[in-house]
Amino acid sequence: MPNLTPATLLVLVPLLPLVGAVLTVALGRVLGSRAHLPAVASIAASAAVAVSLLVGLGREVGSGGTGRPVEMVNTLWQWADVADATPAGAAVPQAFSIPIALRLDPLTATLLAIITCVGLLVAIYSIGYMHDDPGYPRFFALVAAFVFSMTMLVAASNFLLVYVFWEAVGACSYLLIGFWFSKPEAARAAKKAFLVNRIGDFGLAVATFLLWITYGTLNFHDTITADGTIVPGILGQVRLADAVGYVGGAVGTAICLLLLLAACGKSAQLPLHVWLPDAMEGPTPASALIHAATMVTAGIYLVARCAPLFVACPEALTVVSIVGATTALVAALIGTVQNDLKRVLAYSTISQLGYMFASLGTGTLLGFTAAIFHLVTHAFFKALLFLGAGSVMHSMGGVIDMRRFGGLRRIMPITAATFLIGSLALAGVAPFAGFFSKDEILAALHGRGWPGAHGEHHEAPASGHASLTVAPGTHLPAASLLLGASRGEGAPASAIRFVSRATASPATAPAAGGLDSPRTWQLLFWMSLVTAGLTAFYTFRAVFMTFTGPTRVPEEAGHHAHESPPVMTLPLVILAAASAVSGWWLFRTQALASFLASTPSLTCPTVADTAVPHAFHLDVALQGTLAAAIGIALAALGHLGRRSDGPQMERYLGPLEPLFANRFYIDQLYAALVVKPLEVVALIAAAFDRHVVDGLVDGIGRLPGVVGTVVRRLQSGLLQRYALAGVMGTLLIVLALAWGLR
Amino acid sequence: MIVAALPWISPGLLSPGLLLAAAVTAAAASLWLLLPRGAENRLARWLGLALGAVALAGLVATGRRLGGLGEDAVFLVVSLVAVISGAATVVSRSPVYAAIWFALALAGVAGVLLVLGAQFLGVATIVVYAGAILVMFLFVLMLAQPSGMAPYDRVSNEPLLSAVAGAVLLGLLSLFVGRLSAETPACCRVPSRGAALTTTSGQAAAPLPAADAAATTADPLAENHVARLGGELFGRHLLAVEAAGVLLLVALIGSIAIVSRHGDPSGELTAAGRSR
Amino acid sequence: MNPLALLQNALLVGAALFALGLVGILARRNLIVMFLSAELMLQGVSVSLVGWSRFHGDWGGHVLVIFVLTVAACEAAVALVLVLQAFARTGRLDAAAWQTLREDTLSRSVDRELPAVDIVPPVFPRLTPAGVLPAADEDDLLQREHV
Repeated sequence: MPNLTPATLLVLVPLLPLVGAVLTVALGRVLGSRAHLPAVASIAASAAVAVSLLVGLGREVGSGGTGRPVEMVNTLWQWADVADATPAGAAVPQAFSIPIALRLDPLTATLLAIITCVGLLVAIYSIGYMHDDPGYPRFFALVAAFVFSMTMLVAASNFLLVYVFWEAVGACSYLLIGFWFSKPEAARAAKKAFLVNRIGDFGLAVATFLLWITYGTLNFHDTITADGTIVPGILGQVRLADAVGYVGGAVGTAICLLLLLAACGKSAQLPLHVWLPDAMEGPTPASALIHAATMVTAGIYLVARCAPLFVACPEALTVVSIVGATTALVAALIGTVQNDLKRVLAYSTISQLGYMFASLGTGTLLGFTAAIFHLVTHAFFKALLFLGAGSVMHSMGGVIDMRRFGGLRRIMPITAATFLIGSLALAGVAPFAGFFSKDEILAALHGRGWPGAHGEHHEAPASGHASLTVAPGTHLPAASLLLGASRGEGAPASAIRFVSRATASPATAPAAGGLDSPRTWQLLFWMSLVTAGLTAFYTFRAVFMTFTGPTRVPEEAGHHAHESPPVMTLPLVILAAASAVSGWWLFRTQALASFLASTPSLTCPTVADTAVPHAFHLDVALQGTLAAAIGIALAALGHLGRRSDGPQMERYLGPLEPLFANRFYIDQLYAALVVKPLEVVALIAAAFDRHVVDGLVDGIGRLPGVVGTVVRRLQSGLLQRYALAGVMGTLLIVLALAWGLR
Repeated sequence: MIVAALPWISPGLLSPGLLLAAAVTAAAASLWLLLPRGAENRLARWLGLALGAVALAGLVATGRRLGGLGEDAVFLVVSLVAVISGAATVVSRSPVYAAIWFALALAGVAGVLLVLGAQFLGVATIVVYAGAILVMFLFVLMLAQPSGMAPYDRVSNEPLLSAVAGAVLLGLLSLFVGRLSAETPACCRVPSRGAALTTTSGQAAAPLPAADAAATTADPLAENHVARLGGELFGRHLLAVEAAGVLLLVALIGSIAIVSRHGDPSGELTAAGRSR
Repeated sequence: MNPLALLQNALLVGAALFALGLVGILARRNLIVMFLSAELMLQGVSVSLVGWSRFHGDWGGHVLVIFVLTVAACEAAVALVLVLQAFARTGRLDAAAWQTLREDTLSRSVDRELPAVDIVPPVFPRLTPAGVLPAADEDDLLQREHV
C-alpha cells in the first residue's frame, strides 16, 4: 500500500464492506456454506481500520485542547458542479457543487467504530444463526452492503450524500426485514417499514431543499473555489465561529422540524415508530445490527450533527425533547405487556432512542454527548440482548413467545448470563453501562428543569460584556477563543458575538410561549424517570419469564434444546464484557465526552458554552437507581420463579391493559385515517385505469386488428393479383406525373 | 334536335384527345369482352370484336401519315397484322391457338421492322422466334397440355381491371408519343459517331467526308446494312456479345440441370400433382 | 418519308403490343400463354427500340434488339423447363395453383364451377373402300394395339 494516511484509511472503511458485498454476490453460489467469508473478512478489516482511525483521532484530539474543532475532509471527486445555480430571488450568486467528500471527526469516528465493531460481532454470530438457511449468501451480502451504506452515511460530508445513504440504509433495512420474503408477515413488515420511512425521507428531502435555499450550499465543510474564495459550509468552521451564522425564526424552525421528522422516521419515534416492532420479522442478527444498534441511531446522528442548527431554534429543540420523552414513556408502557421476547426488545429500543432524543433536545453540550454516550452503550447492550434473544429463539426451534418456555438458564447458561448482564445494563443498574449513560441523560434533563441546581448554569446577564468576565471555574469556550484569536479580532467583535450568542442560547432564551419553561423540563425529567423504572420492569419481566421458573421447552425445539454453538456465544460474551465495563470506563475517564467535544458541530459557541464540569450527580443517580430498583422488584414480585404462562401482572392494570396491549391504538388510527382513504382512492383509480385508460388503449390496439381482417383478404397468394396491384400503382404514379406535366 | 346539334358537336368529338379517350375506352371494353370469362357468350364475342375494330380505327386515326400512299398502306397492313394477332394471342382460349397467333404477330412485327429499315432484325425475328422459340413452346404444350379445355384457360384473373390497366397504359403511351417533337432537346443530342464505325474486314473504314458521313450513318437503310450492323456488333459491343454467348451456355446447362431433376426431393408435391 | 411520323407510328405499334402483352400477363392464367404475352411485350419494346434507332440514325437500338433476342432465347429455355417442372408437380399449367404466399388464415381461393365443355371428337372423313382389302398381318395388328 502506498501510504496509509488517515484520508486513505477513511475511504477504506466503507470501501471494504462494499467489496465484500460485491464479492459475496458474485461468489455466493460458489462459496456455498462459506459465503460468509468475504463479508466477515471485509467487515473485520473495516473494523480494524475504523478502530485505528478512532485511536489516531483520539490522540490528535488529546494533543490539542478540549473543544478545539478537529475535522478532516477527503474529497474524492466532484459529483455535480454547476457554476451558476443561483435560485430566483437570491442576492448572492451560488454554485451548485456536490463533492463526494468523506469526513472524519470525533462524532464520525465514534460511530464508524461502533458500526463496524457491532457489525463484525453480528456477522460472526450470524455464521451460526443463519447456518443452513437457503439465503445464506444473500444475508451476508446484505449485511456487508448495510455496513457500507451506514459507514457512508456517517462519513458523508454533504447533506445530499447523507440523503443518498439515508435511503441506502433504508433499502438494506427493507431487504433484511423482508429477508424471508415468502413469509407474508415479513413481506408486509418490510413494506410497512419502507413506507413509514418514506415520510421521514420526505422530511429530509424538503429539509435539504430548504438548507440549499437558505445557506447556498449543502456541504458540511468549508470549500475553497477555484478563484480562492471560501464557501462556508453549513457546519464548517467559518460559519461555526460566526455567531449569527445560523438562521433562526420560521425558516430555521422549519428546517429543524423537518430534520426531526426525518430522524423520527429512521429512529422510530412517535408518531412514526410503528414500523420497528413489525421489523422484528427479519432475521434476529439483522434486528440486532440494524434495528437496535446502528441504523435506528441515524436519527440521533443527524440531530447531533446538526446541533448548531437546532440550537438556533429553541422551540424545535424543545419539540425534540418532548417527542423523545413521550416516545420513551409510551414505548416503555407498551413494552410492559408484550409477550414476544423480540417485541419487548423492539419497544425497549424505541424507548431508549426516545431517551437519546430527550437528551439531544436539552441543547446543552452535556445533552449531546450524553445522547451519543447512551448511543454507544445502547449499541452494546441492545445488540447483546437481541443476539441473546436470537440464541434463545435458535435453540427453541423458532419460538419467541415467552409464555411457552421458562427456566432456560439451566439449558443455556452462557446465554442466560450474558442476557442478564445486558438486562442489568439496560435497566440502569450500577455499575453496568446503561447506568452511567442514563444518568448523564437524566442529569442533562435535570439541569434544564432546575437551572442552577448543580451550580453549573450561570445566569446569563443581559449585558454581553458581563459574560466575558466569566466566573472562575466556569468552562471557557476554547474553540471560540481560538478562532477569535486566529482571526485577530478585537474585543468589541467578540463582545458582539457574545451578545448575540447569549440571546440565542437555549439556556437563557426567554420562554417560548411557555413551552420552553423549566416546568416543561421538570415534567420531561419525571417522565424519563418513570420510563427508567418501567424499563427495569419490562426488562426483568422478560428475564424472569425466560430464564427462571420451572424448565419448560416448546415442542418445536424437539429434544435437542441446547446452548448455542461457540460462534454464537463468543459475540455474546464480548458484547457482555463491553456492556459491563464500557459505561464505567467512559464515564470515569470522560474520554468520550471530551473527545466528542472536538466535533466541529459541538464546538459551536452556542453549544460549547453550555459545557459543565464533569461531575457525578448523586441526586439524579439515586433517583434513577431507585426507579430501577422499584421496577426490578415489581418484576420479581410478579414473575420470579413462576411459570411464565401463569397469571400475569397485567391483570392489575385494569382498563389500561388493552390500551397497552393494542399499542395505544396507533396502528388502528393509521389504518382508519390513512390506509382506508387511500384504499378508496386506489379503488377508484384502479377502476378508472381498468375501464377508461385500458379501454382506450385496448381500443387503439384492436384497431389494426380490425383493419387487418379487412386488408388481409388482399393477401390472396395469387401472384397475378400482386402483379396487377403493382401495375396499377405504377400507372397511378405515371398518371400523376402526366398530370403534372400537362 | 340531336341531328341538328351534330355539326356543332362533331369538331369537338374529333379532337385528338377525345379520339384517344374513345379509342382507349373501346380497347378496354373490347379486351374485357374478349378475354375468357367462363361460359362462352357469342354476343359478347361479337360485341368485343366490334369494339376492338373501333379501338383499332381510333388508333389508326391517331397515327401520322408517313408520306406516300404506298408507304402508308404497307405500314398499316403490317402493323394491323401485328396488333390484331397480338390481341388474338392474348384472348385465345386454347394455348395452341395462342401460340399460332403469336407466330402471326411475329410476322407482323417483322414487317414493321422491315419498314423501319431493320432488314436483319426482321429476318432474325422470324427465324429465331417463329423458327426456334415458338417451336419450343409448341413442344412444351404438347408435353404438358392436359386433354380437353382446362378450366384455367376458360377463366381470367381480374379481366376487367387487367383490361383497364392495359388500356390506360396504351392511352398514356399514345399521349406521350403524340407530344413528341422533331426537336431533340439540347441535353440529349448525340454526337455523330460515323468515323468510329469499322468494316467487316476489320480494317478501319476510311474517314468519309463529314457531310456525307452524317447522311450515310444516319440512315440504316444505307448500303451494306448488315455489314455495318455486324461491324457495330463485333466492334463496339464485342464484349457484350461474348457475355451473351456465355449467357446462352449457362441457360442451356441450367435448363438441362433443372429438367433432369425428377420432381422435388420430398416427393410430396409430385405425388399430389400426379394424383390430380 | 417523314422521320418523326415514322417514329411516332412505330412507337404506337410498340405501345400497343406492350399493352396487349401486359393484359395477357395480368389476365391469363395459363403459364404458357403468360409467357407468350411476355414475349409480346418484348416485341413491343423491340419495335420501339428500332424506331428510335431509325430516328436518331444510331445502331444502338439494333444491337439492343439483338441482345433482346438472345435473352429471350435463354429465358424461353429456362422458363419452359421451369413450366414443365411446375406441371410435373401440380398437373396443371395454372398460375393460380401456386398460392402458398397467401395470408395464413385465408383459405385457398377456388375457382367457381364452370359448365363442362363438350369436346366434340374430331370427325375424320371416311373413304369408301376401293379394291380388295389386303390380308391382315397378325403381327402388325398386334403392334398397332400398342401404338
